[in-house]
Amino acid sequence: MREPITDKTIPTMQEVPFFALQDLRVLKNRGLIDPEKIDEYIARDGYAGMAKALTEMTPDQIIQEVLDSGLRGRGGGGFPTGLKWKFAAGEKGPVKYVLTNADEGDPGAFMDRSVLEGDPHAVIEGMVVAAKAIGAHNGYIYCRAEYPLAIKRLSVAINQAKEYGLLGKDILGTGFDFELEIYQGAGAFVCGEETALMTSIEGKRGMPRPRPPFPSVSGLWQKPSILNNVETFANIPQIMLRGGAWYASVGTEKSKGTKIFALTGDVHNVGLVEVPMGTPLGAIVYDIGGGIPKGKRFKAAQLGGPSGGMIPIEHLNAPIDYESVEELGAIIGSGGLIVMDEDSCAVDMARFFMEFCVEESCGKCTPCREGNKRMLDILTNITEGKGKPGDIELLEEMASVIRDASLCGLGQTAPNPVLSTIRYFRKEYEDHIYNHHCSAGVCADLFKSPCQNACPIGMDVPAYIALIMDNRLEDAYKVMLKTNPFPSICGRVCDHQCQSKCRRGKTDEPIAIKFLKRFITDNAQRPKVEAIPVTRKETIAVIGSGPAGLTVAKDLAIRGYKVTVFEELSEAGGMLRWSIPAYRLPRDIITKEIDDIRALGVEIKCNTRIGKDIPLSKLESEFDYIYLAPGAHTSQKMGLPGEELNGVYGGVEFLRDFNANETAWTTGEKTLGAKVAVIGGGNSAIDAARCATRLGADVTILYRRERDDMPAAIEEIIATEEEGIKIEFLVAPLNIEGKDGKVSGITCKRMKLGDFDRSGRRRPVPIEGSEFTLNVDSIIAAIGQIPDLSFLPENSDISINRWNTFDLAEGSASQTTNPKFYAGGDALTGSDTVINAIAAGHQAAIDIDTAIRIKNNEDPYEAPKEEEIIIPFELDEDNPEAPQTKMPELHGHERKKSFIEVELGFTLEDALKEAKRCLRCDIELD
Amino acid sequence: MALVTLTIDNKQVAVEEGTTILEAAKTIGINIPSLCAWPEIKYFPGACRVCVTEVIGQRGLIASCVFPVSEGMVVKTNTERVRTARKMTVELLLANHPAECTYCVRSGNCELQKVAEMVGLKQIRFNIPDFQEEGRFDHSSPSIVRDVSKCINCGRCVAVCDSVQTVSVLTPSQRGTEVRVAPAFDMPINESNCIACGQCILACPVGALYEKDQVDDVWKALNDPTKHVIVQEAPSIRAALGEEFGIPAGTLITGKMISALRQLGFDKVFDTNFSADLTIIEEGNELLQRAKEGGKLPMITSCCPSWVKFCEHFYPDLLDHLSTCKSPQQMFGAMAKTYYAEIEGIDPKDIVSVSIMPCTAKKLESARPEMNSSGYRDVDIVLTTRELARMIKEAGIDFVNLPDGEYDAPMGEYSGAGTIFGATGGVMEAALRTVYAVVTGENLPNLNITPVRGLEGVKDATVAVGELGDIKVGVAHGLANARKLMDEIRKGKSDYTFIEIMSCTGGCVGGGGGPIPTNNEVRKLRAGALYKDDSQVQTTRQSHENPSIKKIYDNFLKEPLGHKSHELLHTHYTQRGEDLPHKE
Repeated sequence: MREPITDKTIPTMQEVPFFALQDLRVLKNRGLIDPEKIDEYIARDGYAGMAKALTEMTPDQIIQEVLDSGLRGRGGGGFPTGLKWKFAAGEKGPVKYVLTNADEGDPGAFMDRSVLEGDPHAVIEGMVVAAKAIGAHNGYIYCRAEYPLAIKRLSVAINQAKEYGLLGKDILGTGFDFELEIYQGAGAFVCGEETALMTSIEGKRGMPRPRPPFPSVSGLWQKPSILNNVETFANIPQIMLRGGAWYASVGTEKSKGTKIFALTGDVHNVGLVEVPMGTPLGAIVYDIGGGIPKGKRFKAAQLGGPSGGMIPIEHLNAPIDYESVEELGAIIGSGGLIVMDEDSCAVDMARFFMEFCVEESCGKCTPCREGNKRMLDILTNITEGKGKPGDIELLEEMASVIRDASLCGLGQTAPNPVLSTIRYFRKEYEDHIYNHHCSAGVCADLFKSPCQNACPIGMDVPAYIALIMDNRLEDAYKVMLKTNPFPSICGRVCDHQCQSKCRRGKTDEPIAIKFLKRFITDNAQRPKVEAIPVTRKETIAVIGSGPAGLTVAKDLAIRGYKVTVFEELSEAGGMLRWSIPAYRLPRDIITKEIDDIRALGVEIKCNTRIGKDIPLSKLESEFDYIYLAPGAHTSQKMGLPGEELNGVYGGVEFLRDFNANETAWTTGEKTLGAKVAVIGGGNSAIDAARCATRLGADVTILYRRERDDMPAAIEEIIATEEEGIKIEFLVAPLNIEGKDGKVSGITCKRMKLGDFDRSGRRRPVPIEGSEFTLNVDSIIAAIGQIPDLSFLPENSDISINRWNTFDLAEGSASQTTNPKFYAGGDALTGSDTVINAIAAGHQAAIDIDTAIRIKNNEDPYEAPKEEEIIIPFELDEDNPEAPQTKMPELHGHERKKSFIEVELGFTLEDALKEAKRCLRCDIELD
Repeated sequence: MALVTLTIDNKQVAVEEGTTILEAAKTIGINIPSLCAWPEIKYFPGACRVCVTEVIGQRGLIASCVFPVSEGMVVKTNTERVRTARKMTVELLLANHPAECTYCVRSGNCELQKVAEMVGLKQIRFNIPDFQEEGRFDHSSPSIVRDVSKCINCGRCVAVCDSVQTVSVLTPSQRGTEVRVAPAFDMPINESNCIACGQCILACPVGALYEKDQVDDVWKALNDPTKHVIVQEAPSIRAALGEEFGIPAGTLITGKMISALRQLGFDKVFDTNFSADLTIIEEGNELLQRAKEGGKLPMITSCCPSWVKFCEHFYPDLLDHLSTCKSPQQMFGAMAKTYYAEIEGIDPKDIVSVSIMPCTAKKLESARPEMNSSGYRDVDIVLTTRELARMIKEAGIDFVNLPDGEYDAPMGEYSGAGTIFGATGGVMEAALRTVYAVVTGENLPNLNITPVRGLEGVKDATVAVGELGDIKVGVAHGLANARKLMDEIRKGKSDYTFIEIMSCTGGCVGGGGGPIPTNNEVRKLRAGALYKDDSQVQTTRQSHENPSIKKIYDNFLKEPLGHKSHELLHTHYTQRGEDLPHKE
């Protein structure tokens, strides 16, 4: 079938991955029968399994069949069902009970409810079989009162089954009696625990009791009892009918059959999914669940409800079965599966689940009653910025004691979310405790607004947006300069992490913060910069004039130090100038902002390479401290045959050469030829490709994964596509073909996606026999950049690691292993963003200044009082949904042929419209 | 029973099947700390988790107080894992417990304190909250004070209230950290069915439940020169008070007690045993009257105020089975402000009548509005054994080395029958001795009626009493046991003539006002001391032989069940029922 308008083929249910990958056994009647009509159940094999068990099988045979099936308790414990029945069957006595646990209490879990409401007879049938197996004649379904429809349908089903002689006295004329009642639970989570459940049926306060005696020996009213979960019983009819071997045909070695999961959270397709045990987590999240909405990254999946644990991105390949999940620190539980994206805070999630357990603890045993509350207090403190050193260790100790010493499963599992988040996200805990920072932007006590919190340098975004609305652009500029020495550069090339956390994005689209920033610098009067007198005796040398080096220089100059910057190339700016093309970042913009830093009194010496023009030792003797920020100006090699041929460029090398010799390239003195292949998916690859296009080449980007996996900014990818550049996805280069010492083509292999790597992206796997050759004149390999640290003498005592970046001194964020040297920028982190380089610069300036003051026994630095800028608070209550304002751009071949800036900048009207969209999260209203 | 062999801390031990790990460890000299379990009443909730041990093969730690041993089991009671868990658990309990140990009523006698020492607790890493005064205390009862903040939720009070006394006033309410032991709907305890027996106080390991302290009222009276302050002590005090001063349980300290009371400044030291003898005369004659005149039988004793209140709540339809006799305490009070005042020429308004009781319900009893037949409160202040001990300590009296004192006349003389009132079956035994004598004119061939002695829950005996023929008597202590006899009566199936009921296990020697610990072993020792007082110390063993009793009838009361007796020594009851709340 086709859709009438789009003419697209409408897939059949089995072609929709959400359904295709499921294996419906328990849910086989889902939506197919009227649950209030027993005939419809019978028509789909209903009660046939029970009939077989009652007429053809002995209790031992029934138990053996269940044992053979490998069925394990679906309520969470995973105890072999057959074994449980066997124990109860072995007990003597005329009175025994079969109980169903339908007290489904995990938040977000509704497997049992769905079965009870959609297929109630399956549970009744399973219970009768169990009763026959253990010799019981009475049973209860303990169903939470919050499930009125389930209770109604169960009641209807029980009555119908009795009417048909399938329940009650003399079932099917076999002489076997089984009476069934529904007991409504009052909604205490702990009553899902078997002994508490039984105590509750007895009419007492639902609290667990110690085991032994086990319920199979002394359960309800001290009689032998078995308690199984709804899903477990619903599996029984088909095991009877089709045999244990059939059941065990899917699943893993120790976990057989299928399991229903309640898939929910940050995932496209939510709902119940029934999959074979052992299905990888990634398959559930991505194939069935359809992945994470809004292009966000998967962070972790919470398995097993509030007492389960988290499985993080690096374990997306984990098969979901009892053993594997437990090994990872989670539990299958009753099957709750909550997907969390990068906007979830691990500490806050742990706090949330702990809060649930604290509220649901029955209060009987000490560790659960007192301990969980104390853990909650600590977690709450951490999320409120009141965490203390030692908190994590105390949480770990408490968690292990509470797990070890609590009376029942609730207490024993309550610390799981804490342990699992500490296990996988310890850094986030530390970030909260030591830096009062919540990277996910969740713990609201730790920040004023999520955008400011996301910004590595903490720019006060709502403030400058509010000032735009007030038409106070100079003040807005000043606000930006407080934290950012390069606002007009960042207004163009920042990767705007702020926007990914913008709350407005939860409703429609985030605020165009980057564009507004640029609007301010484009339209405001530049604040005047005056030289700052040198007031301190210590002198500082900075190697490298990129964003990290110049930020250190500015910050230290403001503090009264004499700073000299050494730059190897002819002009200052580092990666900004030499790597980013002018159509994205015009040269005069860079020059103006660097000139402002010079104006403070910072001296920048260009054309000066350390180790060549000046020996490092000279710097060491002339300066007190040296800051190393040489950037990452060398492209990573692909390691392919033919890489040495003429016409093979590294991405940064090409861009640097182009920026240094623009005229030569544009006049054709230098050329890439007609056809160019660019290898890679990052911003450098895109920059190189768009430059090559502008030089008239026919450009193809070769990328080994898919579009969503590209590290480049999405707007850059879109711009690339608009400019007619082809991107070949799932292609990896194998060999560079050459003729006469020059490139003639590139042979590639097509890839397909395999399992997940540690970054959560599917690993590309070569498709055998898919090789093809692309004829090209040049190849630009932009698969990564590494620093060139060859200027450092071997005896510098500055430790360099295997990624050719600096190692830091223990506990420091900027000091190298030689205390005289500090480092930052790409040479410290590997290829990274401008804003992170600026952040590194700020950090180093503080660290260097602090080191000096400590050495001199001086008081810590106090910033001079700044001019107070009152931030207006005018919030338009009427703020209707509206998409982000579009950035006006150059169009057509005008853009493809020139290096004029593509983005034209917001008009005043654009800016006001966009600024008005801001929700002002920074304002706290009483 | 089959023996089970297991290994505890590398030592082999063989114990009976069904023994818990904790008990097994004790047999080889390993003491495992424990807070919540109470084997005596078969209460093993596994709740406090202080007693955890490692059992090889078990996933989590095991509560040794409740986990039964099994063949070949390997237990480790002293590993890092165990020590860490125990410490953390006690630390958590103490972090939510007022740090008021120095002036806590249980200071020095607190199980939590002891356990903290046993687990080697050295620090509390959590903030101890400010315990708000509001809602913390329940002072509503004249007998028992509840301090919610100190409660550690061991549940022992709940268990004793529910399973031993079947009153079920105290239950856990709320859940999680909010969980608190409280009467239904958190109502004040005096609006509940509480019978004030105080068994919950004996159960409490900490200071969350304690008697309403009236020591200061006594000091005030003693300091007032216009007041004539007299004191009576229940039979069991002389068998228990010594324990508060380190004297072994079961030691009679009658003389030291008299000296201490005198030293405290009481004007006269009298004895409840005197009025116990008086009670026997009245009650014995009441029984005979009922038997002869076709009154309500079986007749049931009414000495025990919590039993009386229990009956008013749960068997209001059977109240006419209760003897109309006041308890010995109240008879004493009534006589003090009439007979004693008269012969001494003291204005009864100036008499402050203090009683020392092993009982918290006696405070409630003395406060009952009808207990004022002299025109004044029969008894003004009731102190428990524990309160008296605190007074003696406060006064700096070296109790252990006190010389023996003598009772004052005319209300200090007693018979052995009066003294055994303090043990379960004692009232019955005392009554039978006198009834037999009254009916037959002879003494019982054997004054010791042993079938009604001891800690069996329900006891009975049949005694041939002259022309009355065989009298079947029943004795119950602990109200769960009382219910058995009462339900029979309600069904019309009771063949008893006379029943003695005491609320507390063991009778008054197990009273809720006695020294802590009170357990069955201690109860037996205290009862033993009373039987020794009866058989070896006292010169007369029958109430009607007490010369002071003879004198009081000759000079004042004239005859048993007479007009004055009726006015001063008998009382009536209120049908209270079970419906909550009770508002007086």
